[in-house]
Amino acid sequence: MTSLGQPVTTGSRAPRSVVAPTGRILSRGRLALGALYWLTWLSVSRRIPVRTGIQRELESLGVGALRLVIPASILVGLIATFQIASQLLEFGAQAMSIRAIAWFTAREFGPVGAALLVVARSASGIAGELASMRAGGEIDALRAMGLDPVKYLIAPKMAALLVALPALTVLSDGLIILGGWLGTTLFLDYSSSFFLEEFRAAFAMRDLIVGLGKSVIFAFIIGFVATDEGLNGEGRVAAIGEATTRAVMYSVLAVLAADTLVNVVFYFIPGLA
Amino acid sequence: MNDLVLEVQDLTGPDDSPIVFDIALQAWRGGTTVVLGPIHSGKSIVMRHLLALEEARTGSITVDGERFDARGESEAVVRRMRTRFGVVFEGAALLSRLTVIENVELPLLEHTSATSEEAREAAQGLLSEVGLAIEQDTIPVELDRAAQRRVALARALALRPPVLLLDEPTQGLDAHAASELDRTLGVLQERAGFAVVIFTREARYAFGNAKRVYVMAEGRIVDAGDHNSLVDSEHPVVRSLLRRRGTE
Repeated sequence: MTSLGQPVTTGSRAPRSVVAPTGRILSRGRLALGALYWLTWLSVSRRIPVRTGIQRELESLGVGALRLVIPASILVGLIATFQIASQLLEFGAQAMSIRAIAWFTAREFGPVGAALLVVARSASGIAGELASMRAGGEIDALRAMGLDPVKYLIAPKMAALLVALPALTVLSDGLIILGGWLGTTLFLDYSSSFFLEEFRAAFAMRDLIVGLGKSVIFAFIIGFVATDEGLNGEGRVAAIGEATTRAVMYSVLAVLAADTLVNVVFYFIPGLA
Repeated sequence: MNDLVLEVQDLTGPDDSPIVFDIALQAWRGGTTVVLGPIHSGKSIVMRHLLALEEARTGSITVDGERFDARGESEAVVRRMRTRFGVVFEGAALLSRLTVIENVELPLLEHTSATSEEAREAAQGLLSEVGLAIEQDTIPVELDRAAQRRVALARALALRPPVLLLDEPTQGLDAHAASELDRTLGVLQERAGFAVVIFTREARYAFGNAKRVYVMAEGRIVDAGDHNSLVDSEHPVVRSLLRRRGTE
């Protein structure tokens, strides 16, 4: 066999940072403060294209989530009704399932369910989009033009989430109640008027307000975690999948931790409940 | 050489793990400077330092008469420094969520007092200067690579910077598109008089109208001069790069 000559490479590898930029672009503190600052700015500015960016994000994060939130919420209503009714069957108190729906939907099922659905659908999308923009040099291009990525990329997503998630929560509340009504009237043989009577007796407007407040907190948490993971990962294509996985995982944990905290606070400070 | 518009001195970085060392280079108004080197020689890192996208360990950058430290400058100073440069990244790096026109008007809206209408009009003018007629709602992925590179060029020139940085400007383009882009760049440079700094591994740029060529290898500038002096260089990397040009 004849020689093919000298090896063309020594096999040495270039430092990773030569191949792709690595490391954090922004600290978490700067990301959070920057997002709050630019959200305030956005609420008064009429400058394009940031505002058109918000419209696009609303379509993507809000309207795009309807296909998931609508059926999932109705199913949660049905599941909750049957689960509670079957537990109360031996006490002959299936009707309490209506009250349970009224107690828990606006305060817990709606906001937490909608938040987890948005995490499933959008946290990965946000992190993946930003990570691929980092890998493609778009984030560097923004910074090189003296533009703040928080203003142009993060704030529109945060703004859209802060509008979309409370709206989706109210929708989800309504659809869970609809699922509960379907379950109790079609399968448990209660009348609609009985459903309404029981529901009104247990439902409190305060629960709806608390649930909406939680959804605003969840929206900020999801936006913060997903954008932090997307923006500050390694700037290489292979890291995109890792960023999306971490974004979903940490968003779920952060939403549940925040919900636990709110519940603990309300439990130990009865005047708030 | 009184028209010095960019001077980099003693640049070593990034701070946490240096890849480029003791970089010194200059660029002149209306002239072309080429930073030539093989892949992974550190060219792009030098460009990232000029834009303060990396924190340097040492060094200074004097651009358009103002001296900036390559590390530790405040955010406001860094922003001011960045506006002195226009930049075309390898692969264009257009913002995919914005339309083509929004990409070009973005620096105008951020750094000037132009109204939305004025910025849009200026963006359309810039696109026309680089030889493009783009419909209002065209997004970057709808354009071919050559057109994307031209949009990036229009965006880079939006603030009329004194220095234009180009990272592998014709990478991935066919020969015709590459020479057309070079021609457009030459016309714009002649008209506006900005300095051009090209970071590339394509030796053909060293044989063009480059005022000065810096050759990089393993993070250092190993030789510099005009193409006539480089032809006589004894450095193996220079010889290798220029020989490859001979076979192209």
